[in-house]
Amino acid sequence: MSARYFLRKLAQAIVTVIAIVLLNFVLFRMMPGSPERATKNPHLTPEFVAAERAKWGLDKPLFPDQLVAFVESTATGDLGYSIKYRGQPVTGVVMGAAGPTVLLIGLGEALAIVIGLWLGARSGWRRGGVMDRIGNAFSLIFYSMPYFVIGMPLIIIFAAGLGWFPTSGMTTPGDKTPVAAVIDLGRHLVLPLTAVTLGLVGAYSILMRSSIIETRSEDYITTARAKGLPDARILRSHAFPNALLPMVTLIAINLGYVVAGAITAEIVFNWPGLGLLTVQALDARDYPLLQGIFLLIGVSVVFANFAADIVYGYLDPRVRV
Amino acid sequence: MRSPLRGRAARALAALALVFAALLPGAAVPAAAADPVVLTVGTTQDLDSSNPFNTALVSGYEVFQMTYDLLVEFDKDTHPAPGFADSWVRSPDKVTFHIRDGMQFSDGTPATSKDVCFSWGLAMDAIKNGANIGYGYLDPNVKDAGVTKIECPDASTFVAYTTDQSDRIFQVYMPILPQHVWSKYNYKTIADQKFDGPLVGTGPYTLVEWKTGQFTRFVRNPHYWGNKGFADNVVIRFFPDQTDVMVQALKSGELDYAHDVNPDQFKALAADKAYTAVAGKANGWSQLAFNTYGTGTGKTIKDGGPSTQALLDPAFRDALGYAVDHKALVERVLGGYGDPGTTIVPPILSDWHVEPDHPRSFSIDVAKQKLDAAGYPLDSTGKRLDKQGKPIVLRLVHPNSNDSYAKSAQFVKEWYGQLGIDVNVQSLDSDTLTNLILPPPDGKAKYDIELWGWSGNPDPNGLTIVFRCDQIDNLSDSQYCNPDYDKLYDENSKESGQQRHDTLAKMQNLIYDQAPYDVLYYDSNLDVYRNDRFAGWQNMPADGTPFFTYSDLNYTLLTDATIQPSPAPTVSAPAGASAAPSAEPQTSSTGGSGSNTTPLLILAALVVVVVIGGLLWSRRRRTASVEDE
Repeated sequence: MSARYFLRKLAQAIVTVIAIVLLNFVLFRMMPGSPERATKNPHLTPEFVAAERAKWGLDKPLFPDQLVAFVESTATGDLGYSIKYRGQPVTGVVMGAAGPTVLLIGLGEALAIVIGLWLGARSGWRRGGVMDRIGNAFSLIFYSMPYFVIGMPLIIIFAAGLGWFPTSGMTTPGDKTPVAAVIDLGRHLVLPLTAVTLGLVGAYSILMRSSIIETRSEDYITTARAKGLPDARILRSHAFPNALLPMVTLIAINLGYVVAGAITAEIVFNWPGLGLLTVQALDARDYPLLQGIFLLIGVSVVFANFAADIVYGYLDPRVRV
Repeated sequence: MRSPLRGRAARALAALALVFAALLPGAAVPAAAADPVVLTVGTTQDLDSSNPFNTALVSGYEVFQMTYDLLVEFDKDTHPAPGFADSWVRSPDKVTFHIRDGMQFSDGTPATSKDVCFSWGLAMDAIKNGANIGYGYLDPNVKDAGVTKIECPDASTFVAYTTDQSDRIFQVYMPILPQHVWSKYNYKTIADQKFDGPLVGTGPYTLVEWKTGQFTRFVRNPHYWGNKGFADNVVIRFFPDQTDVMVQALKSGELDYAHDVNPDQFKALAADKAYTAVAGKANGWSQLAFNTYGTGTGKTIKDGGPSTQALLDPAFRDALGYAVDHKALVERVLGGYGDPGTTIVPPILSDWHVEPDHPRSFSIDVAKQKLDAAGYPLDSTGKRLDKQGKPIVLRLVHPNSNDSYAKSAQFVKEWYGQLGIDVNVQSLDSDTLTNLILPPPDGKAKYDIELWGWSGNPDPNGLTIVFRCDQIDNLSDSQYCNPDYDKLYDENSKESGQQRHDTLAKMQNLIYDQAPYDVLYYDSNLDVYRNDRFAGWQNMPADGTPFFTYSDLNYTLLTDATIQPSPAPTVSAPAGASAAPSAEPQTSSTGGSGSNTTPLLILAALVVVVVIGGLLWSRRRRTASVEDE
């Protein structure tokens, strides 16, 4: 991969981020009552609010004063103060919720990728076989089910019914020793993680399956067979890596959305991540917080796509610019 | 040659099964006998503030009354009972309270009358300056009791000067704050303070932690003067917009008490002997509050206020009252758990409640006629016009704390739609809604109808006060102002017995006829609690609920359910409701029924089958691929 390719992709990413920041500014200023609402925060003292108005330049014209103030503040990580969270800085609130989301969705994606790729490869390689039929059915069924449709039966059977796991939340309130805290977190994680993984696995396995089917008919596979290589080795060393290429794009896009959180999954399990935060911020018309979340998601997706471009350029020698 | 991929899969599965097994409760770190007993309570109303002066919600009152005592508390019949003061003497011009001897705050500091003088002093200062503390929900209690002066002649005596002979002096919701912690704040600055845990108070449990949107946690006050409840810690968990999640948590044993379940869940749980379901008659109502800002004053709000002048016209509001079928709402939204709404004093206050002299009945046709007669005709497209010729489109806002609001909103939208009036419905969180309805200077009151509810005090003034002119930008959610009403209110405050009853009757009829509110129903509180860990449950009052009532006394009355003679064996409820498995290893008693081990065995068997199956499968494949070579 050449330096020019890398730099070009980096430049594209930076320009996109700038566009997102600008869009963020315009969008939330366009909403009725938005900037005043931020200052009418009942949890901040009047003196503090006056200082904020001055800092954000809300009495001054939109261009260039407010825009410059906005960009400056954003660059230094100051995204204002949350209304729902009682005057806490938006950055703090958003980062606090990002952790649980990355844990749940990140792990879910990772498991879904591993299981999905394996399932898809198996299904596609022996197309029409038992594994294919079962795997395909499994993938399609769970792929079409929203997280809450997967999640609610899990809760009813395993949590409320058998009582093996907690029904909701991330932790049990109370002081705990570190070991107990980890086990407690683990117990709370099992059901939401299962729901998220099942919901995501379908996408990967179906795409991988068709990718493998395509790859199977390539000439170099026929050559490998003719050379007498074992079937499993052909799949592992020749078909799989080539079929993986389209998956990189899918994985990258999905990973970008990890931070958006699976909203319905987080609501069903009351998991305190960015998805739940978004819903709460909407309910509370908390514009500063929504702005912060929007910014974080936008930047994450751009970054993930940039990483995908780089990884793709590294994996596929045909992409050389 | 064995495929590494398959071997890896089998090993991965085995590892997963091991992790899985480790996370099951049976294999978890065994609970030590000294683990604190935790009472976990669930509610659908998210807490807005832990600062007593900045909460407008029942959740907020429940939270601050854990940490702080009132001067006088309530007993199970809502009569005055000892609180911070343990006795009192009434004279024509004052009430003299005796502060309990030897009482201490949770940090060991002696609790004396100076703490009352400080706390009530904040209210007195605010009243003197014509202001309110914070949202202004607490100081009106002092004003309404007619207190003109307060005194602390010595550490055990507190005197409140008032000529008002009613019981309102014993129902003042001013928390007694520790002066040694808050003394440097006055009535203006106390409302800005974050009351973060750990807090210091004389109440039974003190706040140690509040995770916004999740839970509040309280620990036992070691110096509490009253009953020592069985629970060492109390956790109140919040489930806004998530009644189903809350009920699942109750069924799995994570919650001991669920407040405000919906009627379907209530019916299902009531049939199960493992739970006690209580439909408490509420001292309050749910209403459509019309934004009547400008009534009597002619004032308008730039870029805010009601969207049409029609809302200021009593004839318009009265006509709308004929378009709402209150009986149908009780049956279909509340599942029958409530009574159709009429006047502003709920029937539970039987001494004071009257039915209206000119009741409205449900008839869409009559509503249409009355609208036409009042000057609100339909245009050619079937839209109802106001007197300015504009189509009437009403914005209805309601909180996300209870399913019933959303359902009722849909009914109202449908009925008003038949009149040619469009309704746009919006659900907001309770804190946001509290601020949305405020007029200048605190807000723009940009709404037309607020669908919400009120919970009152044992004295009807707690609810009737909301319609006073001076409650605009305070408690008022209808922005109503009528000097005649205020006069009647002041009279009723000085009266008692039949005289007061008659004045209250006049007040109720005035509001009913003028209709700044359409009282939809007196909805019951539907609470459910488990029978297996805590006993000694008591309602306050007798036809009310144990928790989320006038005081937190009932938390201190709970005892250990397992040392009681056990109730009748758990009968399996019909399919749908689950039996109560208690899996949490938190009580020191020999909890954990035998039913837990069977699923474990089944799971273990399943895992073994899958692992063996996987191994056999891979062996078969191996044989096949060898042949390929």
